[in-house]
Amino acid sequence: MKAERFALLFVIVIVIGVPLAAIVARSNSGAIEIHGQMADNGGWTPSDLTAQVGVPLPLRLTSDDVVHGFAVGHSTEPALDVLPGQWTMTTLIFNRPGKYTFYCTRWCGANHWRMRGTIEVTGDTTTTITTPPPLYVTLNLDLDAPHPSEVVPGEKPSATRGAALGVKIDRVVEATQSPAQVWQQMRSASITQGLSDDQVWDLVALTWRSNTTPERLAEGQQLYAQNCAACHGETGKGDGVIAPSLKKTPMPDMTMTGHETVAPIDFTDAQDMLGASGAILEGKIIRGGMGTGMPYWGPIFTTEQIQAVADYLWTFQFAK
Amino acid sequence: MTPIELTRNPIVKATLRNRWPQFVVRVIALAGFLFAILSGFIGTPVGNHNFSIVFVWIVWWALLMLIAVPLLGRGWCAVCPIPMPGEWLQNGALLKPRGKGVGLNRKWPKRFRNIWLQNIAFTLLALFSAVVLTRPSVTGLVLLLFLIVALITSLIFERRAFCRYLCPVGGFIGLYSQAAPVEVRVKDPAVCAVHTEKSCYTGSADGYGCPWLIYPGTLTKNINCGLCMECLRTCTQDNVAFNLRSFGADLKQPSGHKLDEAFKAFIMLGAALIYSAVMLGPWGALKSAAYSIGTPQWLVYALTLLGLIYVILPGTFLLTVALGRTLTKSKESLKKSFSAFATALIPLGLMAWIAFSLSFVFASLSYLWPTLSDPLGAGWNLFGTAHAAWQPYFMSIVPFLQAGVLIGGLLWACVTARRIAAEKQQGRGITLQALPVMGFCFIITAGLLGLLIG
Amino acid sequence: MSQLRLSPRWIAIGLLAFVIVFVPNPIAFAAPAEPHFRIEASSFQYTPEAISVNPGDHVTIDLVSTDVVHGLYIDGYDLNVTADPGQTATLSFIADQSGTFRLRCSVTCGALHPFMIGKFNVGSNDRLWRAIGLGVLAVIAGIWVIRR
Repeated sequence: MKAERFALLFVIVIVIGVPLAAIVARSNSGAIEIHGQMADNGGWTPSDLTAQVGVPLPLRLTSDDVVHGFAVGHSTEPALDVLPGQWTMTTLIFNRPGKYTFYCTRWCGANHWRMRGTIEVTGDTTTTITTPPPLYVTLNLDLDAPHPSEVVPGEKPSATRGAALGVKIDRVVEATQSPAQVWQQMRSASITQGLSDDQVWDLVALTWRSNTTPERLAEGQQLYAQNCAACHGETGKGDGVIAPSLKKTPMPDMTMTGHETVAPIDFTDAQDMLGASGAILEGKIIRGGMGTGMPYWGPIFTTEQIQAVADYLWTFQFAK
Repeated sequence: MTPIELTRNPIVKATLRNRWPQFVVRVIALAGFLFAILSGFIGTPVGNHNFSIVFVWIVWWALLMLIAVPLLGRGWCAVCPIPMPGEWLQNGALLKPRGKGVGLNRKWPKRFRNIWLQNIAFTLLALFSAVVLTRPSVTGLVLLLFLIVALITSLIFERRAFCRYLCPVGGFIGLYSQAAPVEVRVKDPAVCAVHTEKSCYTGSADGYGCPWLIYPGTLTKNINCGLCMECLRTCTQDNVAFNLRSFGADLKQPSGHKLDEAFKAFIMLGAALIYSAVMLGPWGALKSAAYSIGTPQWLVYALTLLGLIYVILPGTFLLTVALGRTLTKSKESLKKSFSAFATALIPLGLMAWIAFSLSFVFASLSYLWPTLSDPLGAGWNLFGTAHAAWQPYFMSIVPFLQAGVLIGGLLWACVTARRIAAEKQQGRGITLQALPVMGFCFIITAGLLGLLIG
Repeated sequence: MSQLRLSPRWIAIGLLAFVIVFVPNPIAFAAPAEPHFRIEASSFQYTPEAISVNPGDHVTIDLVSTDVVHGLYIDGYDLNVTADPGQTATLSFIADQSGTFRLRCSVTCGALHPFMIGKFNVGSNDRLWRAIGLGVLAVIAGIWVIRR
């Protein structure tokens, strides 16, 4: 009888105690638990958070399927990996109120860029900094209007060849000018009379290259590789690995209902690119594609980061 | 080799007769089992970081298929926690008999006193295996179903009817236990003949009558004996022994004539072939088909699996047996020959499953470390290994092991086929009757070699 | 109970087994080249699912993930590389071990991740052919050698 009672005690302790301990221990520390899944399966859960200025927001993140990443838009904090079955801990602190966007930083399917959430930060609104609207807004540019270049170079223009020509040119480019426009200006200037069309293109390349720095190009290249190459291709041709899964519909006119997706732009297409200004490029990156499947990066990247990406995009047209 | 009676050693005998060691192991196993169910439901959905997937389909499976079954036959049944709650209710006790229990204790229906239900249960699992093996919640559900079905069975039917007639795991480890080097047998049948109480079957104050519904006095094959050691405890004549014996001793006995066991062999071989191609092969389309339950592709997968197991393999085997009969002008019925020669598939299947298991066990074993520290994938780090990286082990030598195991199984199967033929034929007739069956075994082996190390 | 005598047949079988296992592979392979492969990884498949090179080749593999982050691990060589979609990763090495090796995904990429497998063939799959040879020998041994 005593053995039987002891056995019963043993059973209760082990069989009930172990699972019970597990359930109890699972109740967490007070941090907000966020589960990441591919966007088609729910994205971030929860995806809407609130916080207060100056109050730390502890987060625990895990992935329920594939490798994801976590970062907050317009933040200098490095991205964190959110790995399947493992947990990443972080604490966010906001100095200014406003609506922040957090997003996935590792490609997780065609809808990776839709894997976003918001953090509504409340607090003393006198500390809010208003960022000026992007150029395409203030100038009311039509980002979707086609902008083919009338003239295209015979071969890829090179800034080095342009520098070797020894022609003195105004190397400042306005954001509203497209390479095609600048080429026209240079072509009609007396100083380029003896040069071929392609050589003038080289001068355009030189101009564009002079308006950026190696550091910006390096940053732009990295941002492109991490965010754009999956659709636009590692060589910029619009042939990224995700591209085939974007539905292609013909674009006879530009009326978009918001449900079509189209093939990603080929940045090596001279006619298309050389007719675009920096403002248009940056505007498209900020605003996204109005249903074309092109993500809107405004809430994610700072103005400087977007300019760096645009600078890098020009390298598909203009060689060093 | 004459069996060596291990229970002659007093320490071995005392340990096996004492209820506590077995009880403790079983209770811990039950806790692990319940924890696996819990982990399946509340743990991370990522399989390789969830206790239920890692500890059931990698750790437990490795221990079962690579150690327990080849070396201890039905040894797992001796410590299996699934029937425990039901047994406690049936017996009204956790340890020694106390008299009253709960349950109807009905006899198992006669028409189901075979392993067909176990065959069907295993087939069902096979159809859904891609999902069961990779989704924690589904594993949790399957384990819970086992527990519930075992419990209900215990409340309606007598003894370990679930284990004997329903459990899909028991279906195949029972079959393969005939190849194992251990056994429980009576020491002297003459003693049993004059013993009227037959307490080994009816029970006594010291123990229960055989829960596996076997009469130990005439036990000659391992297939239904769960090594629970009750008969060791109840025999009043100290006439039961636990023996070490040569591998495959049961296969050397006059071959059985049971169709259900023959089909179990085909189910296991067919499953090994299909899994090797679908789960371990390089063809993603097959895996997606096996995983997407309910789609037309899955239907094709299911029909292929069923066709191979129940039609193609037995059909081809039937042809080889028929050929052997024709060549030797055998007078035995085709059905008898078929069932008899199917015994050769037992060692073949056992080695096939060992080779198959080697493929994924060592590749995935390193998931043990993070799961040990964080079984629910909840962010714990009990032993500091929660972030241990995946690293396959022994991948350079595993293919050699697999080849060795498969060739060994083929040799064993051929020897068994020859031995069965020698029961029926003389001289050249033995070769003529066994050769087609050996050819069948060779083709299966070649197929597995091609899939696993090709 | 069977007894194994050291009969001439047994010795013959043993010798044959020795030959099958140890006879050098007579196939001569081309001089080492520099093959370059592009392997696309999707859940849960490598495309192409198998690649073949000659022993001694300087192999370059570009791993292109097409949906989520995947990895590529080569059995036997213990080499590993991870690629995000849009960022091709490259593995470069000398194929100094002959045989057939499994490629495995090394980054959790979904439910069937542990079964995401490909094949890497270097030269001929000696092991397979020798094993099949031993299989034939096993059948012969089963007929010949074991006596009641």
